[in-house]
Amino acid sequence: MSPADAKAHSALAPSLLTGTRLPVGRYLVVSLVGHAAFFAAIGVFSYLHLGARIDLNQQPIKASLVRLGKPRDPKLLPRIPDAPKEEEAKAPVPEPPKPEEPKSVPMPDAKARPPGNADRRKQLLSAFNRTSGAGGSRTAKTIEELEGQTDGDPNGNSATQEGERYYGQLKAQIQQRYDVSQTIPEQERLHLKAQVLVLIGKTGEVLKARLATSSGNELFDNSVLAAVKKASPFPPPPEHLRDALQRRGIVLEFRP
Amino acid sequence: MILLGARRATAQVPVLEISGANFRPMPLAVAAPQSADDNARSKSAELDAALMFDLSASGIFQVLDRKSFLARVSEGLTASAINFARWADIGADGLVKTQLASEGQKIRAELHFFSVGTGKEEFKLTDSAADRDVRRLAHSLADALYRRLTREPGPFQSHLAFVRRTAQGKEVWVADWDGRNGQLAAGGPNVLNVLPALIPDGSGVAFTTYRTGRPMIFVQRSGGAAVPLVKSDHMATGIAFSPDAKRIAYSLAVGESTQIWVAQADGSGAKQLTDTPYFINTSPSWSPDGKRLAFVSNQGGSPQIYVMSADGGGIRRLTFQGNYNQTPDWSPRGDLIAFTARDERRAFDLFTVNVESGKITRLTQDQGDNEEPTFSPNGRLLIFASHRTGTSRLFVMNSDGSNQLPLPMDSGAYHTPDWGR
Repeated sequence: MSPADAKAHSALAPSLLTGTRLPVGRYLVVSLVGHAAFFAAIGVFSYLHLGARIDLNQQPIKASLVRLGKPRDPKLLPRIPDAPKEEEAKAPVPEPPKPEEPKSVPMPDAKARPPGNADRRKQLLSAFNRTSGAGGSRTAKTIEELEGQTDGDPNGNSATQEGERYYGQLKAQIQQRYDVSQTIPEQERLHLKAQVLVLIGKTGEVLKARLATSSGNELFDNSVLAAVKKASPFPPPPEHLRDALQRRGIVLEFRP
Repeated sequence: MILLGARRATAQVPVLEISGANFRPMPLAVAAPQSADDNARSKSAELDAALMFDLSASGIFQVLDRKSFLARVSEGLTASAINFARWADIGADGLVKTQLASEGQKIRAELHFFSVGTGKEEFKLTDSAADRDVRRLAHSLADALYRRLTREPGPFQSHLAFVRRTAQGKEVWVADWDGRNGQLAAGGPNVLNVLPALIPDGSGVAFTTYRTGRPMIFVQRSGGAAVPLVKSDHMATGIAFSPDAKRIAYSLAVGESTQIWVAQADGSGAKQLTDTPYFINTSPSWSPDGKRLAFVSNQGGSPQIYVMSADGGGIRRLTFQGNYNQTPDWSPRGDLIAFTARDERRAFDLFTVNVESGKITRLTQDQGDNEEPTFSPNGRLLIFASHRTGTSRLFVMNSDGSNQLPLPMDSGAYHTPDWGR
């Protein structure tokens, strides 16, 4: 570059068209710090205040869609709903603690004509019952599901509730096996009452079951004893009941 | 839900109340009869067949298949001789053992009933009958067993009237409840005899006959000849006797309408009950107290079941579902009326309607056409005609539609059963 050129350039120096050294670095730093602080504030704020956290231990809530079909014309004569098959009801059901195995609600037979409203309700309920293990595997968990309390703490928070739940399990388990002969006269059925004293061991086995009060009908007495026998073993009693159930037992009062 | 004295557990034993029993037919093992002599042995198969069918149809037993039996055939008839564990193993709760012996011209039967659970003989029934009446002996034993257990009368010594269709016409027969031991009550070449009604006192059977060309109601009393019962110049059909056998109800077709009439049992004192010109009222059936009648009427546009008092007042339509409901039969227990209806698939099936609530319950479905139900005298069973096997045959079932079994009748075409005492 010649000196003349340099001179000519210096004349242009005040022009905006010539490059000048501006303090860009300062602004950049301020901007970066500002952004970082902003996002950090959002992060801290959202962590502290906003949004639902995902609890990985929470039980999944399962919802199934069940097609109700078109309601049957009330002017038509009723149809007998197809009864659930015995094998179907007894099919093994996945255990509740394994949520990764999805349970499906059996659909009502698509070929079956939709029954009356009340019947359909029963059919649906029976479908749900089947998935929750009614008539299926008789474990503590399944019975718990059948007899769960709607207003209870899902984790159970007191010995009383635990005890009530246990008695509920016993009751449900025995009721499933509570078969009584049709030969018992109808007028007699109203008055029958039998008590059975049952001692339950700590693993849930029946140590002793004896008739404490006879109904006066031997057939009925036999039926209730058979129901206890067929329903056993029961789930292991909770800690605080263990001793009482083993030594003093529980009285089961049967009525038809 | 969970009923507890459990809170008192610290002081005393908790009490848990359990109800909601499942009532089920009693699993019953019926051992083949044992015979004391050759004559008795020759009759035992027939007695056995009749007894087995009665118990199977009773609705209170689930009669177990003999093929599953584990006990020795020669096992004795006393509790000490019976290995109850073997009967318990096949699921039996009750065990029946019978022994037959000849006594002159009679067969004597002893029926022992054991409770398998307790291993005890509960009771023993003894009866005898003439050699040729072993089926009736079986029915008598079945009735006694039914009554002993349920304290209700059994239906097995009752009678059944029905129509048998032949190449020449239609005959009215009267038989034992199971359709066996039948006797021809009305026949004749090229004559239609239909709609039989047993007289509740057991003295005979009335029916509608076309022997003169137009329908007339005749009665056939035991030992006599069939004679006209309803004397009218109009077409008379569909007779029904009141439960006390003192009155009759029937339909008379006059001009374009058909009306229901009642009269004394001998046909006198006839009185018209319904009065709906241009409409058809037919198929009367008495309530067990004899104070009301169920009948079919098309006065609402389609044939439906109606009830009215036996003097013709208080007519009330009972069925509002379906558009072709007919042949009502009022249960001897009073609560239900069984009827035939044609559904939307044009299948004829059996239903009951609750007289008080009007609730309709279906009894048969997807088993061919089923029609003309008739209640057993104790109201627990129904006999009806079914086309499920191709020809019309008679079946029996529980009044809730369960346990449908064909009657053990000779082959033929049968319909319109009437189950009486």
